[in-house]
Amino acid sequence: MAASLNSSESDRSSLGGQSASSRSNNRSLRVAEKERRRNEAEDPFVLALKYFSVVEAGTPVVGNDDFENNLVLVERTAYSQGLSPEAISIMLEFAMSLRMGTAPCARVLKCLIPASVVPQEAVVRAAVWLSVGKIPISTQVLFIKWVLTVFDMIDAKDQLRAIYGFIFSFVTEENLCPFICHLLYLLTQKESVRVYRVRKLLELQSKLGRQPFLLHLLSLYKVFCPELVTLSIPSRMRGAFRNHVSPWKAALTAVQKRNGSLAGSSVSPALAVRDKSGSRKRKHCHLQLPALTSVASDGARSEQTSSRTLVPLAHLQSFDQLLKNVHRIELPAQMGSLLGSSVALQYLDCIQDESALLRLNFWLGCALHEEFLFCGDGATQTSEALQFLSRLLSAQHFLQEGFSSSDAFLYKFLNVWDGSLLRPQILCLLSNIPVIPSSQIRKLLFEPLTQLFFTSSLFFKCGLVECLNNMLLKWLTWHSVYALEDDLDISLNSHTSLNITLSGFKDSVMELIHFVGHLASVGLQLEGCHALLLSFVLDFYETVCDTFLKFGLPLVVMPPAGVFYPAFFATDPVSVDRLAHIMHRYKVNLTSAKRQEKQKEQAFHISRQTFQEFNHCVVFMVNCLWNSRMFYPGSDVQPGEELLLGSGVPRYWASFDFIHHPAFVSYALDFHQKCWPSRKEMDLSSIKDSKPWSWYLDYLFSQGFDGLKDFLKSNISRQAAAVDEQQR
Amino acid sequence: MEQTNASVTRTPLDSVAVKRKSKSRSYRQSYRSCLGVASRLGLTPARRLTTNRKAPESHNITVNPEHLALLVKNEWQLAYVTPLHQFRHTQLRSYARHLSAFVVAEKQQGLAVEVSGLQNGFKASMTVVQGMSEADDDPETVLIQIHSKPLFSRPDDPQKLVWSGWLTCINGNPEYLHSLPKDFTCLPLFVYKGAENLSSLVKSWVQRTFDCCFGPLELSQTSLQWLAALWTNCHAESNIQHLRMLWTLPSAPPLQVTYAVDPHDVWELWGSVRKGSWGDGAGEARWIDLEEVASFMQSLKSHFYRHFKLDLSAGILNQVSTALGSARFNGRIKISNSAYVITTLTLLTECALLKMPI
Repeated sequence: MAASLNSSESDRSSLGGQSASSRSNNRSLRVAEKERRRNEAEDPFVLALKYFSVVEAGTPVVGNDDFENNLVLVERTAYSQGLSPEAISIMLEFAMSLRMGTAPCARVLKCLIPASVVPQEAVVRAAVWLSVGKIPISTQVLFIKWVLTVFDMIDAKDQLRAIYGFIFSFVTEENLCPFICHLLYLLTQKESVRVYRVRKLLELQSKLGRQPFLLHLLSLYKVFCPELVTLSIPSRMRGAFRNHVSPWKAALTAVQKRNGSLAGSSVSPALAVRDKSGSRKRKHCHLQLPALTSVASDGARSEQTSSRTLVPLAHLQSFDQLLKNVHRIELPAQMGSLLGSSVALQYLDCIQDESALLRLNFWLGCALHEEFLFCGDGATQTSEALQFLSRLLSAQHFLQEGFSSSDAFLYKFLNVWDGSLLRPQILCLLSNIPVIPSSQIRKLLFEPLTQLFFTSSLFFKCGLVECLNNMLLKWLTWHSVYALEDDLDISLNSHTSLNITLSGFKDSVMELIHFVGHLASVGLQLEGCHALLLSFVLDFYETVCDTFLKFGLPLVVMPPAGVFYPAFFATDPVSVDRLAHIMHRYKVNLTSAKRQEKQKEQAFHISRQTFQEFNHCVVFMVNCLWNSRMFYPGSDVQPGEELLLGSGVPRYWASFDFIHHPAFVSYALDFHQKCWPSRKEMDLSSIKDSKPWSWYLDYLFSQGFDGLKDFLKSNISRQAAAVDEQQR
Repeated sequence: MEQTNASVTRTPLDSVAVKRKSKSRSYRQSYRSCLGVASRLGLTPARRLTTNRKAPESHNITVNPEHLALLVKNEWQLAYVTPLHQFRHTQLRSYARHLSAFVVAEKQQGLAVEVSGLQNGFKASMTVVQGMSEADDDPETVLIQIHSKPLFSRPDDPQKLVWSGWLTCINGNPEYLHSLPKDFTCLPLFVYKGAENLSSLVKSWVQRTFDCCFGPLELSQTSLQWLAALWTNCHAESNIQHLRMLWTLPSAPPLQVTYAVDPHDVWELWGSVRKGSWGDGAGEARWIDLEEVASFMQSLKSHFYRHFKLDLSAGILNQVSTALGSARFNGRIKISNSAYVITTLTLLTECALLKMPI
């Protein structure tokens, strides 16, 4: 109870007598308390407060030096460090009770700068004085303004809400009305919205005309009870209540800053006004997110739900509020509006109601279809479409999966897409497509994509390969998370099982990998083995080579020759290095698969052909790079001896070893110069000697070719290397 | 949901389920990505118009004559609507109140309106049109009307009908209707006429209240050809007076062709392309095939070509009209004979269902 040591707290508790028991437990605390009280007794500020709390009614103000001195004292304290809660209580009581007439009332109100919080009881009491005393209207307004300004600092609101009806009765007071409406706005809860209040406000509306304060209060009523009132707020009336008094606000911030506690003010209401509607006239406006509005409950439904009071999602503004009410949230009238607010998106993640998701999908599908498929005049306004798709993508990203209506849309759209309209967005949407059964994948995906791929630019090709890589990654991740083996499955009920078996999934993945392999082989040929495209293709195979170890999918697919050879013969060392890395990962995956196969007999089977393909590639790489034996029996390329001789390439068998490979020859030259700086003649084959060779390899590895390092480490044992050297 | 594996026991919503799966391996997928309707229809991208349909018969539909007269005497604009959520035919009275208040509030921006109060500007009404449904699965048709009082009228003047619209579903694809969860009502065809701003107000109210979407329903070439054939087929029972078609040919400047055919000639032509039991079997010949429609149109086009050396297949069919009704490709339709309302609306319902995003 460290807080109770604080003078303000202890004073209040002595007034209210609430925590007496807790204090009696602790003797030493009480002693300290007494000590301090004695000190405080001499404090002029405390004496001043005492003066105001005991001053008798009817004491004259004019010429009253005591009063003047004490009030100056309070004012000084207020502006320098703010007033403690009980000081606020005393001063407010003093002012509102008009004990010394109306004259000092406004002056006191102006200096009520709270240091920490404002006790709710004081505000309630003061509100009661409003109807009892003969306070001038201007002072009443001042009081309400003060309440509005310090609203966030009132320690609790429950009692204020309890006197909602009492406060409401002041709306008829014409001068008070704007401020009362604002206060009501801050206090309104669902149960405070009643038919007779709506009628009263409408009556006022007919008397006062279109007043923003009435409208804003009514619009909040509409949020809670759309079945009672309806309205549409014109965009020019969008400004919220402007009732803060800036000098107060300034003084308040100054005091708070001095005290080092800046309470966030959230008084300004967030209104559900339609954004920019009408600002831009469009023929098709499907891409506008609907506003978050609550459902108008008709008779039948309100009976069902009356037992559990629901909170409209439109009324929640923070994640905290969402968490507190997550068990009793009422879905908005239009599900599409969920995409527009981050809080709502959080909630969407835990919705299990099929109808609700279907509603969302109907809306989304309709928007996409109308905008991109049905609108024949091609008047797609790209900036809006861009905004819409980005929002959709960020929602999908947040939920980590796509919406089925956007998938269905894509299957159709791919057939008419020109490959350039909103390319990044469409490709990103495409990568979110969930696993498609292998029987349909060709028709839905591969046929349109093949056409697009071969008729588009290099950049589209790169983009598509990247997109398919992302798609594969998502599928594999999905598999590693959701695959149900025979293990215990601990799951929330939010999931249902899909009729796709492991082998069905494997088939789909295999189809996808083969498809990309095919695209990549032909694409690389078409683009002259462009390094950019090759890099994206290697990205893809970096995913493919690790399917078993990283994602637990017992499937290994080797790259086709059309990918392997261009990567190996590439003129940039990075591609060769990445290829080596990929081959290394293939080896690790295959060996561990083989080990598991032996351990668990039933586990799975990787076909002999895969192993053969792998060995074939590795032998080729080792022979070329290490053994300088490019052509050997059993390799893919075996041109005739005469042909090779006729080509006039000297030592053709060694043209792709570590020294002569076009990707590494510059490193060899550099190494040669560093190794033998005095030599005039360049003799690269001298690197082949056993010592310089190992230095050269170390030199290569030091250049960051980790892929090559791993590849050599796993495929060439020391002994074998030694034997090799002897043979040479 | 049909994907739900039978071996998975349903557990109470609030408990964490720990279950042992059967030997068969399968995947869980979240609800979001495997909706019953969505996944099935999403994977079958090409839904097409049916290739054969029943020949129109004159129906004596038992609809309130007042409603029927309204439907028959006007030209209507077509739109499609995605299924309505939480729509109750029993709540129409309360919906009408909300709609009135909404229209008034939107008309007077910045003025709040009490929902249950009496609106003096506009009064909306919603009624079930009894008898305007064909199959058992079809939800009942709903008629929405808005009455208004002219600005300078005497207080005892009657209110004028300023806007009307129908939400209907005639012979909707039962498979699609059944695939929707219980709380959806599928009335895919929206037929309306009246001031443009009122139309958009009604649409936006329906959209907000039942969380659905509207889109324009254009009539494709095939639909227009179907209508031409279906109407021609009625000539025996009810004189079609003429078959008039409007074509636009893509020349510079665009060439408009109005092609009107004498009813007897067109009837004879239709008879010649009808396959099989033409004239005899009264019951079986009631089906018309898309091939018949295509060859009917082809014959009309080749006839035109013989005379004017203009191939109409290069152009676009814009409008088809007979004494039974007229239809334009931009989705405006007029049904002039109440006997064939059902046939026409069946075709239009099908077109509307084809537009559904999922």
